[in-house]
Amino acid sequence: MTEVSVGDEIPSWGMPCVERSRMRTMAAILRDPNPVHWDAKLVSTLPLGVGERTINQGPLGLSYMINMLHAWAGPTCVKRIFMTFPKIVLSEDVVTAKGVVTEIGPEGNVTCDIWLEREGVRLLEGNATIVFPEQG
Amino acid sequence: MDIPSEESVKKVIGHQFPGGEYLIAHWENFLLTECTGAQALPDGMAHPVALFHVPFLGANTSIGEMFELGQASSEFSIGIESYEWEFYKPLMEEELYQISGSILEVERIDNEDGLFDRIKFQFDIRQDRQDIARSTIIWHYNRGRYDRS
Repeated sequence: MTEVSVGDEIPSWGMPCVERSRMRTMAAILRDPNPVHWDAKLVSTLPLGVGERTINQGPLGLSYMINMLHAWAGPTCVKRIFMTFPKIVLSEDVVTAKGVVTEIGPEGNVTCDIWLEREGVRLLEGNATIVFPEQG
Repeated sequence: MDIPSEESVKKVIGHQFPGGEYLIAHWENFLLTECTGAQALPDGMAHPVALFHVPFLGANTSIGEMFELGQASSEFSIGIESYEWEFYKPLMEEELYQISGSILEVERIDNEDGLFDRIKFQFDIRQDRQDIARSTIIWHYNRGRYDRS
């Protein structure tokens, strides 16, 4: 197994622009009727104070952290992921997925705190259990 | 706005969705993966984010029906508490999965965050009686005010 220690930082993964077009495609795939993901004018009428922007789907924000874990430990690494959504992610946001190792468990299980941030503010927070692929 | 009674909301505890089968088509996984900003995964693996929509579509329900079951006043009244996804095997394109799902818990909360019903859904994905993945979703059905979606 790759050498990993408690406290190690996971290499970050950046999404340089949360694009409206991707939210629209995602809404179609999910059959998600919620217009906050594709109707910016409607969002501007809600008491959120975010102007004419659309709100990213929760699973898309989560996916950025999965991409970070895949880049670090391979495409089969994720065994469990738990995520909370304290703040919303908006169109045109620049966000970064980050994480840190918190525990090395039996059978090579690695537990990590993971989060998504915008300008240092955590938008999504959770944890994941991953396993590095066997080598050799 | 009328607030549904706690008793009426709790009637959905134990609700079983019809269940069914689902196949993640290549085109679907291609578009889904592109939405995440990632490159396609190797060997026909589906992006794990599929564990959001595959369970409820495969169980023959929808986001809209899940809103209705909790008597949501509008799409804007739903907030996400948490998603927990467990993978026993990777999800793959073009493979048929069997899906089941139910509502496990309903709890009415009245605190400094407001009045809301906390509803917990759980979906299981199997293939030939082998467990593949599980998705546990907790949504807040806010009563009487706008909130995050």
